[in-house]
Amino acid sequence: MNVNGKKHRVKAEPDEPLLWILRDDLDLTGTKFGCGVGECGACSVLIDGVARRSCRVLVQNVSSGQEIVTIEGLGTKNNLNPLQKAFVESTAFGCGFCTPGMIIAATALLAHTPNPTRDEIVQAMDNNLCRCGSYPNVIEAILEFTNGSKP
Amino acid sequence: MQVTRREFLRSLGSSCLLYVVSSVPGSGIQKVYSEPWPADAEDIECRFYALDTDYLDCFAFHDDGRVTVFAGRTEMGQGLRTVLTALVTQGLDIPGDRLTIILGNTDVCPDHGPTVGSSATEQVAWGIWQACLELRKDIIRRAAKTHNLPVKDLIYQNGVVRSRSDPKQIIKPHEVDKSEIVYMMLDPKVSSSERITLAYKDIGLHNVDAKSIVTGTLKYAGDLKLPGMVYADWHISPYHKKLTRLKSVDLAEAQATSGVDRVERIGPKVVAIGQRYNDVCKALTRVKAEWEKPNRSKDLRVEEEIRAGAVFQEIKEQAGDVNAGLAASFKTVSETYRTHYTAWAPIETYTALAKMEPGGNEVTIWSGSQYPHRVRELASQNLGLPESSIHFINTPIGGAFGGKVAPPVSQEAADLSRRVGAPVKIIYSRKNQFQKRGLYKMACVFDFTTGVGTDGRLQARKLDIYQDLGEGTRETYAAPHVLIKHYRTEMPVDQANTRGTSYVQLGFAQESHMDMVAASLGHDPFAFRRNNVVLESFVPLIDACADMIQYPRSSLPDNEGIGIGLCNHGARQLGVAAAHVNVDRKTGKVKVKEICAAFDIGTIINHRTATACLRGGIIWGLGWVLREEIKLDGHSVYTEYLREYGIPRYSDTPEIKLQFLDNQEPGSPRGCGEMPVIPTVAAIANAVYHAIGVRFYITPITPEKVLKALGKS
Repeated sequence: MNVNGKKHRVKAEPDEPLLWILRDDLDLTGTKFGCGVGECGACSVLIDGVARRSCRVLVQNVSSGQEIVTIEGLGTKNNLNPLQKAFVESTAFGCGFCTPGMIIAATALLAHTPNPTRDEIVQAMDNNLCRCGSYPNVIEAILEFTNGSKP
Repeated sequence: MQVTRREFLRSLGSSCLLYVVSSVPGSGIQKVYSEPWPADAEDIECRFYALDTDYLDCFAFHDDGRVTVFAGRTEMGQGLRTVLTALVTQGLDIPGDRLTIILGNTDVCPDHGPTVGSSATEQVAWGIWQACLELRKDIIRRAAKTHNLPVKDLIYQNGVVRSRSDPKQIIKPHEVDKSEIVYMMLDPKVSSSERITLAYKDIGLHNVDAKSIVTGTLKYAGDLKLPGMVYADWHISPYHKKLTRLKSVDLAEAQATSGVDRVERIGPKVVAIGQRYNDVCKALTRVKAEWEKPNRSKDLRVEEEIRAGAVFQEIKEQAGDVNAGLAASFKTVSETYRTHYTAWAPIETYTALAKMEPGGNEVTIWSGSQYPHRVRELASQNLGLPESSIHFINTPIGGAFGGKVAPPVSQEAADLSRRVGAPVKIIYSRKNQFQKRGLYKMACVFDFTTGVGTDGRLQARKLDIYQDLGEGTRETYAAPHVLIKHYRTEMPVDQANTRGTSYVQLGFAQESHMDMVAASLGHDPFAFRRNNVVLESFVPLIDACADMIQYPRSSLPDNEGIGIGLCNHGARQLGVAAAHVNVDRKTGKVKVKEICAAFDIGTIINHRTATACLRGGIIWGLGWVLREEIKLDGHSVYTEYLREYGIPRYSDTPEIKLQFLDNQEPGSPRGCGEMPVIPTVAAIANAVYHAIGVRFYITPITPEKVLKALGKS
């Protein structure tokens, strides 16, 4: 499979969720287990630009032609991407456990809606759950990000 | 615990001077030690563990200029690490990249008590700030002594001691004493003329974990790996834990699951162990187990059963003669309120990694806990090992909210590791997270009778509280005649403390009731609060909320209302919230349009983390009063899923405005992580009443309940 621009060959049961391949076989632990049933979004990754719940993507349904991007593929501590910087600036997290999923979901939204309204952000992100209540700060981060990127 | 001094200092990675600062007078430190390291002292027990005292603060000054601070409270997203960084970098005048903070590692951190009650900033972090200031003084004093210089010639600046007369002379903290450990008593009663005063300034430090969090590189317990590690999780009973027992099991099919190492019964429990998490999950679905059906009716009549089984606990508050007071009142209002069962529901389920050494006598556990030393204590009892053999390494926590003080997962992992002879990582399934412990924020009943005079002042307050101890009565309102009693009932599930503790249930009941008392007089609810609060400090907060939410308004659209709620949490943290809601009569849905809240919580150490935490607490309160519910009956808990449970979402998020009371005199920080929940709950409940004229006496205020109530009227 193709993850963060690199090709990997893994051995797994066909019905194993992609989440555990990423975490256990590829050491990409930024993608989290929160519920295992696709409800919370903590396991979100991009597959060909679309935010998908990796706990519900079985490895047998992943093809080598698909581009999988995890949180690790978006930026590093010394080289945050602009959206990550916006999350830092707005303290758009509490404990941070759901945050990689939030950033993945926001990335997918911004790819097709570069200047979302508050309502569009809420609608697109509504299936990503946070228990620390970081929602107001995440909304602010995304709005600030789009403000910043306006000419 | 008997880490030797040599091991401990070696664990710090470089030669250093360790300051152990006690903030408790009379703690037993008789004098400050500064003898040189004795030649034969290799195995002397690390001294500060032998001290029987609270709140030791430990600072290591390394020879490379780094400083390490050791503290026993832990980070769970409330921003403690950032608060400590802000205080220590300023307190010791050092840059952030020279500071390491180690939290909750039982080998090297003092026992600072559990991270609960929104108290870490006030009780521990602020004490560390005080210690930093005194350290500066002590470091100069020692530098003068060991370097034969006049004290007046020396200043402490940028983390080092400098000579005023010879600017090239710099003495680093680790050089100021020949011994390796210095014990310092921090006496809070020392006269102010002797104290260093330095006003703390919030420079708006960004959350120190931010970059790790947004890159997915912050490692929680579940992200750690060890060679040969296996996964494990539990099969749990379909019935309430305390009403059932495991009668028999048939594990053949489960054991036959490919990839699974073992599925076995351990006493009253069944565990599946395998190399892949997915195989463990599959095996657990194939466990056949017979559990004894609870010997009681399935039908759970919450209020009925609470009353029928109530056992009197104590009189919480008493004054005057409440019956006479009520009889003499101009108006009396009598109501019953009931709250519901809710859960912690963190996004990170219970997780622990444990590695038992061969021989089974020493174990290292990695997990996120609010009280690592308590985890170690319980694991010691459970495993039959001395505490010194249990090394608990605290990891960042993916949400706790009271549920990760000392959950069983750590000792479970340690025990399994001993059984299988390999490192074991347990990650609870979401269902297990909801159901396995059988602990929930309790459904409570409040029988409130209040008498009020013609002047709108409370005359008599009579309250019977059933279940969770109702905190927050005396600190908010008073009356000359009071009788508050507390009762407790054994129910199929047991009590948990979730964010806000029992202030939340009482806050809902009390504030709803106060609103109805105001209504009985035809008094404005904001004015009624102003007229009746015990503390003057509430008044500017009430005014601030009224101002922010533009209350009163000459008119509001139909089905919209504004409500107010108050809380005095622990008599330390004051909060007032006003909510503006809209009720959709077709769907019954309550939409919270705006929450305006004002707080009096003392000095804010870091406004970024404080604001994030306060907003989060407001969202939590919204969820509790409108959306969340644990579904259960007399036999079982049925809630398994986060969406079904009802944790709040983006679409629930209101506009939020916050204001802080301007503290003219800089005082200590008083904390705030839980408190916003309570006034939010109250304000929303009251706003619903003002929107549609219907009072809801039973939480949560769901669309079903709203439609039913509207159908009736």
